Amino acid sequence: MTTGAAGTGTAGAAGVPRLSVRGLSKRYGSIQALDAVDFELRAGEVMALLGENGAGKSTLVKVLAGLVAPDAGAVAIDGRDVDLFPSARSQAAGVAVVHQEYSLVPAMSIAENLVLGQGDAPDLWLPWRLAARARRLLEAVGLAHLDPRTRVERLSVAEMQLVEIARLLGRDARILIFDEPTAALADREIERILRVIRRLADEGRGVIYVTHRLAEVFRLADRVTVFRNGRSLPALPTAELDVAGVITMMLGRELGTMFPGHGQPAGAPVLEVEALEAPGLTAPVSLQVRAGEILGLTGQLGSGAADVVRCLAGLAPPAAGRVLLARRPVRLDSRAAALAEGLAYCSADRKRDGIFFGRPIRENLTAPWIGRVARAGLIAPAAERVAATPVAARFAVDVRRLGTPVGAMSGGNQQKVAVGKWLGAAPRVMLLDEPTRGVDVGARAEIYRRLRELCDEGMAIVVASSDTAEVFGLSDTIGTFYRGRLTELRPRAGWTEDAVVREVMHEEAPA
Amino acid sequence: MTAPRADAPAAGQAGRPGGAEAARLWPIVALASLAVLVIAAMAVTPNFLSVENLRGILRNAAIVGIVAVAMAPVTLSGSFVSLGVTQSAMAAMVGFVVLIGWGWPDWLAVGAVIAGMVAIGMVQGVLVAAGLNPVITTLAAGAILFGTVSELTGGRIVRMGPARPAWGGGEVLGIPLEILVLVLFTGAVTLLMSRSVIGRQTILVGANRATAAVSGISHARVTLVAFAVFSVGLALAGILNAAAFGEAMANSLTGLTFSVIAALLVGGIAIQGGAGSPWQAAAGAVLIAVISNMMVLNDFSPGGRLAVQGAVVVAAVVLIDQVRRRRARG
Repeated sequence: MTTGAAGTGTAGAAGVPRLSVRGLSKRYGSIQALDAVDFELRAGEVMALLGENGAGKSTLVKVLAGLVAPDAGAVAIDGRDVDLFPSARSQAAGVAVVHQEYSLVPAMSIAENLVLGQGDAPDLWLPWRLAARARRLLEAVGLAHLDPRTRVERLSVAEMQLVEIARLLGRDARILIFDEPTAALADREIERILRVIRRLADEGRGVIYVTHRLAEVFRLADRVTVFRNGRSLPALPTAELDVAGVITMMLGRELGTMFPGHGQPAGAPVLEVEALEAPGLTAPVSLQVRAGEILGLTGQLGSGAADVVRCLAGLAPPAAGRVLLARRPVRLDSRAAALAEGLAYCSADRKRDGIFFGRPIRENLTAPWIGRVARAGLIAPAAERVAATPVAARFAVDVRRLGTPVGAMSGGNQQKVAVGKWLGAAPRVMLLDEPTRGVDVGARAEIYRRLRELCDEGMAIVVASSDTAEVFGLSDTIGTFYRGRLTELRPRAGWTEDAVVREVMHEEAPA
Repeated sequence: MTAPRADAPAAGQAGRPGGAEAARLWPIVALASLAVLVIAAMAVTPNFLSVENLRGILRNAAIVGIVAVAMAPVTLSGSFVSLGVTQSAMAAMVGFVVLIGWGWPDWLAVGAVIAGMVAIGMVQGVLVAAGLNPVITTLAAGAILFGTVSELTGGRIVRMGPARPAWGGGEVLGIPLEILVLVLFTGAVTLLMSRSVIGRQTILVGANRATAAVSGISHARVTLVAFAVFSVGLALAGILNAAAFGEAMANSLTGLTFSVIAALLVGGIAIQGGAGSPWQAAAGAVLIAVISNMMVLNDFSPGGRLAVQGAVVVAAVVLIDQVRRRRARG
């Protein structure tokens, strides 16, 4: 297996990159997702694309896939300028994306799945032709032993992933983009996928590999491009890098003013979790939070950090274990029950289940606790306004705009509403999942500051986030998750930011 | 009807930016088109503005309006519409005729019909709350009701006989009873939706069910209450109609389902829920009645009237959509 710079340049015209991106910019509302990004991919190479959440990786992937149109910049394939929007053009240009979510139809056979979405297949209604074609593609991804008539639902996750790759090969893709293809796989299966990807590149295709797992980068990639805050850093050969260097490139920014100070949590724990077993966890989790403490749980997507928070919020009832709030066992069998116990919860996906997009801010703020404002089941508008105003003010939401639909506000202000509304319910513990996703820097600092204030007043806060910088900057105690397991839990003083990142990636410290 | 507060009808759906402004704009659009229609009607129809004719319009709008207002909470909560409106109101109508025919006192018959309809509605509410598709559930319930009533009456007309209530088709202080009930019922349901906890929760569940669940709002409770309110409206419509005519049959009230849904849409209540107020459904019913009346006075055939009614619904839906799109772009 080839690693490092040795694998480059085995195919393709010398000098002309397979893909070249110049000055690409894309803005979403107040967020500059891509800021004059440059990116180059040679034929026959695997280029790792790294960066924190929100750094712009996925926006670049979306532009290349033709899912969003860029605001400015140019893309060239094999030296010719191309327009990749909409996605049909991107596909025609030879770009294929392997998504994290599999787009296979489980009830159909492998062979049928392989021709899905391909209109120009005149003779494929003949079963033997279909099977022959499927065999050819399966061979290319190392699945020659499988019968093309097998239904996809009977395959392992890795095999499905490979069938998905085979499907894209059927389209003669010259540029393959992998977006965290191994997130759901076990080590041995990862090995299989990486080997196939290496071979596809060696055959002359250009491969962009998006991941959070640095070990895979050093195993597979020829070069590395790091994205940071919507900007691209120059690509570097993997052979010239080490883990520490890559992490520095990914973080590389001042955090001094972003985060408020830290608290002095004292006294007995408010929330005690003992041997909790819940959906998404592979080992029992035990932890404690005291009044005035922010506990940060971090890990890659799907690592289990968010699952603990969802379980405590009453959204995924625990299979086993005990949860005590102020020494009393609490019921977590429904969201309403957890809310009644004093557990506020702010979800990771604000638009999906965090706000009522078209409803006024006032209604959004009072939604979880409107019963506290009402008398005999009736709402007096004046009383509602009086109750909502301090809650809005507390999270720096403009109190003159309480009648405005929350959807008309910026993402940062929407998030302030999504987090701040819970204050009205006077919770004892605040649970937050990815509290600053899709939020601009200013609102981010604002949210951190307000959370710290709440803490100083005696609230206990649990934050789950895949943003290690956020967890390190904000938390008093940090717990790391890897594949459904709480791997480390200790006070912030016992961590460095690098150590958190390494623990999350589950890498050893570089020698 | 209560006047909307400036921000009350503002609403929309996640992933549908601009819906909020559109919904806020809609009452204005509806009122403006009503005004234009009335002026046009006056110009071409000499008798249009007579007290007698206006009263006729409201009377025609009353039954449709009561049921449309009653259905508004179901729609607002995100459970779309009932496709069993005709059959349910017919069952209430036949039920009331039969009970009066048996010699039950008026008040007892009224109470029994309302209670019976609420029970039938709650069964549907339970099914919908459990996750069944509301359109299919109500369609099936309508078929069961129609089949049962047809079977029991043998398809014949049932009559109240001499016990027919004196107030049937009557007036209170010079106002026809149906209109009075429409006004009071519209006020009550509008207040329930805008000023009560359960009403607020109904609209929030319709606006975003997932956020509502995270906020601890019970979808099941909201759905049950919505179907209960709906059933009361169906019962009132059936009773008023029965009392006015003194007789009923399984084929009574045909076309009511379409008229009610039309009123709801023309009134500008978002079909996917979360935006709108019950009084808008009543306004929609009146608007359709005005159009209908103009056509009657100008000698349109029943078929022509139905076709125009359909066209009005299409026009309203297209208009709402256009306004939303423009807002989303701007």
